[in-house]
Amino acid sequence: MTETPTDDDGAQPEIDDGRGEIDDTDRADRADRPSVLVPLEVLEGESIPNGTPELLANARVVLLGYHTLPDQTATEQAREQFGETAMSKLDEFAEQLAAAGADVQMRLVFTHDEETTIDRLIYEHDCLAVLVSNSTEGVESVLVALRGTVGVGRNTRLVAGLFADSDVAVTLYHVLGGDESPADGESFLNGVKADLVERGVDPDRIETTIEAEDVPIDAIASRAESHDAVVMGETDPSVTTFVFGMPSEQVAERFLGPVLVVQRQRPEE
Amino acid sequence: MDGSDSADTRESAPAPPDLEVPDALADVVDADTGEGELERTIGLVGGLAIGVGTMIGAGIFVFPGLAAENAGPAASLSFAIGAVVALLVALPASELATAMPRSGGGYFFISRGLGTGPGAIVGLGLWLGLVFASAFYLVGLGSYAGQVFLEAGIALPIDPAVPLGVAFGVGLTALSLFGTENTAALQNAIVIVLLVILTLFLSYGSLDALGVFGAESTPERFFPPGGALPVLQTAALVFTSYLGFAQVATVAGDIKEPSRNLPLAMVGSVILVGVFYVVTIFVATSAFGSARLGQFGETAMVEVARSFIGFPGALAIVVAGLLATFSSANASILSASRAVYAVSRDGIIPEAASRLNLAYGTPHVALGIAGGPIVVLAATGQVEMLAEVASFLHLVMYGLICVALIQLRRERPDWYTPSFRCPAGFTVAAVGGLASFALIAFMQPASIGIGAAIMVAAYGWYRYYATDVELKGDF
Repeated sequence: MTETPTDDDGAQPEIDDGRGEIDDTDRADRADRPSVLVPLEVLEGESIPNGTPELLANARVVLLGYHTLPDQTATEQAREQFGETAMSKLDEFAEQLAAAGADVQMRLVFTHDEETTIDRLIYEHDCLAVLVSNSTEGVESVLVALRGTVGVGRNTRLVAGLFADSDVAVTLYHVLGGDESPADGESFLNGVKADLVERGVDPDRIETTIEAEDVPIDAIASRAESHDAVVMGETDPSVTTFVFGMPSEQVAERFLGPVLVVQRQRPEE
Repeated sequence: MDGSDSADTRESAPAPPDLEVPDALADVVDADTGEGELERTIGLVGGLAIGVGTMIGAGIFVFPGLAAENAGPAASLSFAIGAVVALLVALPASELATAMPRSGGGYFFISRGLGTGPGAIVGLGLWLGLVFASAFYLVGLGSYAGQVFLEAGIALPIDPAVPLGVAFGVGLTALSLFGTENTAALQNAIVIVLLVILTLFLSYGSLDALGVFGAESTPERFFPPGGALPVLQTAALVFTSYLGFAQVATVAGDIKEPSRNLPLAMVGSVILVGVFYVVTIFVATSAFGSARLGQFGETAMVEVARSFIGFPGALAIVVAGLLATFSSANASILSASRAVYAVSRDGIIPEAASRLNLAYGTPHVALGIAGGPIVVLAATGQVEMLAEVASFLHLVMYGLICVALIQLRRERPDWYTPSFRCPAGFTVAAVGGLASFALIAFMQPASIGIGAAIMVAAYGWYRYYATDVELKGDF
């Protein structure tokens, strides 16, 4: 009763419960794998959509099974009743992901507010990106929507980590801002491209596209249609996002394919 | 870009956010035991809102008329006595809650500290106490809903308070069966609106009573003709206004950083509502004579507001009264279902009572056996009896909470490591326990009879069904 579990996981962000990691050969190499949070509402019948194991084959996946309860129900009560079922489903999904090559850690959380839970796990596992799950046929080309230089390192780390060893075609995409000239945009994307090449992505597989559009979300969503997956950044919440939802959610809703939402660097607490 | 890189790699792993404020006990409860972990989602404001939201409906919007009729202006003293007793219990309860931050509140502390027998009496008593309290709030809610018709000038052939209360009872139970999203956010908003309306109204009323806006009102004799006795009897009656702080403990399993937030929310909500109650009685009794207030009944505050600010004031208080009694009734129905869950988890009643409905995520059986009797009791319309029985059953629990604190501090079991320690623990718990039991003595004989019968029945059930359940020190 008196032990403090924080002692154990203070040094390592990875709280491995012993079940999650299925394959741990050549760990040193795998330590650089980008960590991606995959939230699934397990008890609501959500499962791993087609193409996801392939997409995340080179990732360190934090597989989050969660169940959201109304405020009048104690989370303990739900865990007692549904914990086992949910855990066995989650096990199944973890195996699917691991079979494709991913390192998988499982977390199962009963909560009253999924945003709190997802946010906490992003912190705890220092996740680079969160996957908005949607199915896709295969993974042959990926659209990487980039807004600007701030935090772009996290995008390149994710893209290189996931796709450097595959034959996936990467399209870097930038919508020009008001006072940006096409030349500015081009040099920005070329810088990103150089970084990706340095990280082991074959330059022949990288394309760059610049567009001047009024509504970036529309542009990204329509561009996405000719790709299998989208990588984009998260946005600060504002009044517009409050009304229309986060841009990444809007894109996911219209694109209907998987979207990897790159998370900002979380401030150290 | 390379700079941001090194910060990201895993050697410089960031500490988990809760490392600085270790809440060891809470972490153990929430941790994954092979069946998932638990998220805590209620912060300090949410905890305060639960406490205040549950309490403020009764003390301000139902009792002033009744209390003033019984005790005159000294009714504010009755409320102050209630606040002191509640505080004396809230402090030991806070210590126990930080040692056992689990859902179930007072029942959990007593069953683990004193054993299954007292636990069963309190657990079943808490369920029925909340049933009585909910019925009481519903009648209050019905009175305010009836007042809406009155203000609109629609004459009704019968007093609509009871039928409306019953209708609200059915509606709220049904609503909670189908899993209401964001009830916590709604509760917070209601409490904030209420506090704003009340602060404005009471500030105006106090200034008026002190003669700022004209002639100072002539205060009537402070003590009622019967002396101290009616004051104490009224304190016993209105103690229902202080039941909410224990509801914070029933959701202890959801409170973030429980070692800090639980004590603050419990003690803070008692102090906050206590001040509001005392000022309310002062304002009400300075506006009207006590006898006149008594005639106005449950909606006396509407007339007080009307006398100050006219129709807009009356309207504001009707709206506030609707919100307050609604949130109290809703919170109590939900707590009653959690009380059922707590006893059924431990096997004191059949486990089927806490089954969850997967589609809605709500405990439909528990809500049903809470909602049914609530509606029946609301139909009786006996406001004072409902209030006193509710207080009786809670006061028994409060007294035993104090006993449990003393017992645990003397026994010092290994698992008892509270992060908040009640100052002058033994003294506070002893005085709090005695005061809780003493307050019961000032209730009407009928209420004492019903309450005692419920306790005997609960004990009988324990002897019949749950003698083999051992809960003392069980985690």
